[in-house]
Amino acid sequence: MNPSANQPVTNAPAPDSSVKDSVVPVWLIVVLFLLVYWGAVYFDEHGGWFAPQVYAPYRSSEELASFNAAFGPPDIKVLGEQIYGRTCVACHQANGQGTPGTFPPLAGSDWVNEKDPGRMIRIVLQGFSGPGLLVKGQPFSTGSAMVPWNSMSDDEIAAVISFVRGNKEWGNNAPPVTPEQVKSVRGKVASSHPLPFSPDEIMKVSPSDL
Amino acid sequence: MKFGPLVFLAAFFALSLSWSAFVLAPQLQIGSAVQETNAVVKTEMYPQERPGLARQGLQVYRANGCAYCHSQQVQQKDTLVDVVVTEVGTNASRVADALNTAQVGKFNGPGLAAGLPKTILRNIALQAGDSINSILKNAGAKSQLRLVPTGSDIDRGWGTRGTVAQDFVFDSPVMPGSQRVGPDLANVGTRLPDMNWQLQHLYSPASEVPGSPMPSYRFLFERRKISSEFSRDAFADPESKDYEIVPKPEARSLVAYLLSLRAEAPLYEAPMTPPAAPATNAPAAATNAPAK
Repeated sequence: MNPSANQPVTNAPAPDSSVKDSVVPVWLIVVLFLLVYWGAVYFDEHGGWFAPQVYAPYRSSEELASFNAAFGPPDIKVLGEQIYGRTCVACHQANGQGTPGTFPPLAGSDWVNEKDPGRMIRIVLQGFSGPGLLVKGQPFSTGSAMVPWNSMSDDEIAAVISFVRGNKEWGNNAPPVTPEQVKSVRGKVASSHPLPFSPDEIMKVSPSDL
Repeated sequence: MKFGPLVFLAAFFALSLSWSAFVLAPQLQIGSAVQETNAVVKTEMYPQERPGLARQGLQVYRANGCAYCHSQQVQQKDTLVDVVVTEVGTNASRVADALNTAQVGKFNGPGLAAGLPKTILRNIALQAGDSINSILKNAGAKSQLRLVPTGSDIDRGWGTRGTVAQDFVFDSPVMPGSQRVGPDLANVGTRLPDMNWQLQHLYSPASEVPGSPMPSYRFLFERRKISSEFSRDAFADPESKDYEIVPKPEARSLVAYLLSLRAEAPLYEAPMTPPAAPATNAPAAATNAPAK
């Protein structure tokens, strides 16, 4: 870096004879080129091209998309169980027994085990409250209303109702519900019944009105 | 200094290059991450903001340097698939023949039709699973692929899928950690959901986990003489019958944070088929989710 080094200076020490001009060897350039090439190929294969959703072990958006395509429709039993565990369990409890006097049981319930699910779908969609509810002969108070769950999709409501109705561990054995049934009931209640059902009102609905 | 501007420019270039790569690029890439929908339960958003006490607990976690010994990153090596036959259609023996011809295994019609849904193959590559899926479909059966993330962390039970940036959306600062003197904590709220166990473990790790090198966090607790009955969440002092160990607010919030660590939702960037949860999981989730 010293600019004076290139200028002739008197009394300069003799050049070190062991230092010779030399060029960068060709093999080093080739090795560096190969390393850069290998790095680029590795990045192309593993980098995911900076896509924010691609994490190891996935290598590209396409590979990730192919795994997501393999998902298919979720297993309806697993889906129902998961939704129950997140949405229903707080009141109706993990064993489906509810809380005496406050939250009615689903296990062995006469409401759940009706052959046609018309009433049960309506209760889940629109909610349920009001005096005079009897489940398995036990009265339940009015203080704890069931909120409407119409924000859930048809598939999800069908899955969770089917899970409850078909849960043999709870002593239930009713046929499952299809998303089409939920869709049709949703269309009917949306126009005719915006509020939670009361026990009197729901008794006027035929269970087979789907 | 003759080359002053040049040196300045070179230094500026070098520093701004590393700043762009390590600060700007990640910020552009994932800085705007928000909640996204659960890949299986589409109406559910993930992640949910941690409860207030758990957010305070994050600061206790940070202050006590928990991240120096515990990571919160489950490493995933691969994603394999299981093939599950859900329906065999009208002709079960035809389906069994198709599977035998494809050398998937030895099946017979009635055996295949009994006890559906049935997992006929485990831990194979996605492409192989896809081709068996289409063989089954052509034979008139219906089948599903279950996505199973694999890796040594998942084998240890530390999680069900790899950790992604989405798991930390609401955390500030994030505590992913890098050292693993202790086990990974990404899913400690699922693995060890008992609040009392967590409190006693913080007070005296070695008495809960024999041989644990974790230091005791006794300063997060208060030793009090038992008046008439135990205080809330207190436990007996192992050294004296007359005293109880009462968790301070820091211990309570730290445990609330630990119990809120549940990075297990299936996401688009971390696809996974949730294992069919046994019914016993539900009460644990229900009692531990809200922090006291």
